[in-house]
Amino acid sequence: MAEIVLDKVSKRFADGTLALQETSLTIDDGEFFVLVGPSGCGKSTLLNLIVGLEEISAGQIRVDGQVIDHIDPKDRNMAMVFQSYAIYPHMTVRDNLAFPLKMAKLPKQEIAQRVHRAAQMLGLVEYLARKPASLSGGQRQRVAMGRAIVRDPKAFLMDEPLSNLDAKLRGQMRSEIARLQKRLGTTTVYVTHDQTEAMTLGDRVAVLRDGKIHQIGTPRELYSEPRNLFVAGFIGSPSMNFLPARYVGGRIILPIAEIRCQAEAHARLTANGIRQLIAGIRPEHIQDPGNTATDLNAGVSFHAAVDAVEWIGSDLYAYFTVRSDSEVWQAMPYDMGSVAMEGGTMRCVARLDPASDVAEGSLYTLWLNIRNIHLFDARTGENLIAPRMLAPQ
Amino acid sequence: MVSGARTLTGSLLQRSFWGFGSVVAVAYALLPMIWILSLSFKDKRSLTDNRFIPSSISLENYRAIADDPQFSAAIINSLGIGLISTLLAVVLAMFAAYAIVRLDFPGKRLVLLGALSIAMFPPIAIIGPLFNLWRISGLFDTWLGLIIPYMTFTLPLAIWTLSAFFRELPWELDKAARVDGATPFQTFRYVIAPLAIPGVFTSAILVFIFSWNDFLFATALTSTDDARTVPAALAFFTGSSRFEQPTGSIAAASVVVSLPIALMVLLFQRRIIAGLTSGAVKG
Ligand SMILES: Nc1ncnc2c1ncn2[C@@H]1O[C@H](COP(=O)(O)OP(=O)(O)OP(=O)(O)O)[C@@H](O)[C@H]1O
Ligand SMILES: [Mg+2]
Repeated sequence: MAEIVLDKVSKRFADGTLALQETSLTIDDGEFFVLVGPSGCGKSTLLNLIVGLEEISAGQIRVDGQVIDHIDPKDRNMAMVFQSYAIYPHMTVRDNLAFPLKMAKLPKQEIAQRVHRAAQMLGLVEYLARKPASLSGGQRQRVAMGRAIVRDPKAFLMDEPLSNLDAKLRGQMRSEIARLQKRLGTTTVYVTHDQTEAMTLGDRVAVLRDGKIHQIGTPRELYSEPRNLFVAGFIGSPSMNFLPARYVGGRIILPIAEIRCQAEAHARLTANGIRQLIAGIRPEHIQDPGNTATDLNAGVSFHAAVDAVEWIGSDLYAYFTVRSDSEVWQAMPYDMGSVAMEGGTMRCVARLDPASDVAEGSLYTLWLNIRNIHLFDARTGENLIAPRMLAPQ
Repeated sequence: MVSGARTLTGSLLQRSFWGFGSVVAVAYALLPMIWILSLSFKDKRSLTDNRFIPSSISLENYRAIADDPQFSAAIINSLGIGLISTLLAVVLAMFAAYAIVRLDFPGKRLVLLGALSIAMFPPIAIIGPLFNLWRISGLFDTWLGLIIPYMTFTLPLAIWTLSAFFRELPWELDKAARVDGATPFQTFRYVIAPLAIPGVFTSAILVFIFSWNDFLFATALTSTDDARTVPAALAFFTGSSRFEQPTGSIAAASVVVSLPIALMVLLFQRRIIAGLTSGAVKG
């Protein structure tokens, strides 16, 4: 168990790639800390720096106050779970679990005890004599976890441990990992590119892109107060809707509505002479006015040409397209990550009550909850206005 | 339905075609071997009777070669020279292949290309100079005099098969072992070596077969029983008396020296094929 402190750590590879920009963060003792971000953003690099498989280029890493920069990985007493599991194919499950203990020169009897305990915890007892080749994906994953927990490490480091499993098993293992971590109380750093995994597992989540941490916070904070466009677009499923917006004479003009600004918002928006904005709206903040419990005065209604409807039982997703020729589009796509857009049109999605009778191909009246709109600076992507600073027209 | 019937006849036709083809190919390859086997069991009188199946089985030829000091010397030479060149070639190739796969160093491609060109190089072209050189340096008719060319000419093959094999090893295991608290030596001892054994084994077999079968160097660079290996010794065979054709003894000796190789290949064919094709297909 340990507190891990990264102090101005950065990593530049020999070929000049800056895989991690200067980063400072503290991972608390016993915390489940998640690193999330798109492929190639430096998640694995950060993990490898902590465990010592890569050397840091600058800065300092401290574990419980002790600088560990020059300690060999084998002496850091951290356990790692790899994406490919990296279990030893020529050893039985038992030998795999026992390997770190054998390396630590524990007495035979203690090894046997600990292996058994770990196997029990993970439901592996009946497979102890098997070789990995005859195990299913989920069982191999468990062996990898088992090898991590047998030796009571200071920290668990997991690099996309679930990405090779099918959707159902992934969900199952996810809750199992969460349960295991709570039970053992071991500091855990967990890497994933799946925001759902990040949100469900993490006590705190760090969002990375291009080797830079964009925001660290609890899942709730990231969801309701994203610091910039990238975080806003990355966290949440389906993604946040983005629309170009202009600020003119105390009003925010969206392609679908006009909104009056409150004094506080006005001050912020005029401070830097910002003109071009991007409005971010979560799918659940667009609703069916006939089927919502919210006070309709808190928002505005608009017409949307709904072109696709997905009914998934608990929710209903209505897709529509918003057209705009704003030049804002040019700068946006990269920052908004996965959000789909083409030409001057923006795909939007509303998450409606499943009882809603919206139909494909119809012009439907939808209702936008003004209080929950985010406004981003179109140049920097920075979030200018937290929700609740806006009022309806 | 229609397509089902078509594939059935198609597969039948295909099967008989491949079946027939295989029989022809196998017969073509094995007939000379079987002929030699048959000769080796014939006695002196029936040697020239042109019968494919010997009228009576005689072990006379085998007894003759067992009593021949030349032959046992040649076997010892073949075994010793073959094993030593194999050991040297494989150990050197292991280091080279490991470096080629794991390290990034300038001239990496050059090493591989160099190895390839050595493999392409016709050995006959250097026999003349080598002969002179060996005579001057005293390597002529010694074990070392054969070990050096064998090792040199098999190294490329060993390097290529081993690097193909090493490339397939999951190196994340190496990281996992380090995190699990293993020293580099322990990592090698418990994780890498056990996984690398099949590949090493494959290239060792191939190298050994090469030196065991070589005739060119063995005839050119030896002159006495000191270093003459079996293929060369067979050519100088005199038989049990100087007045008879040693056909029977040669046949028996050929069988004796082919047997270990044939057995080895049969026993380890899976491994050899896997070793030769690994890296060709991912998976
Ligand atoms: N050994 C290396 N030498 C040079 N560049 C590297 C090296 N390892 C990684 N990189 C680069 O560093 C960046 C971050 O890589 P990293 O593996 O940390 O990404 P990641 O976030 O784990 O991505 P993924 O989700 O695909 O695993 C990438 O641009 C990658 O190309
Ligand atoms: Mg990675």
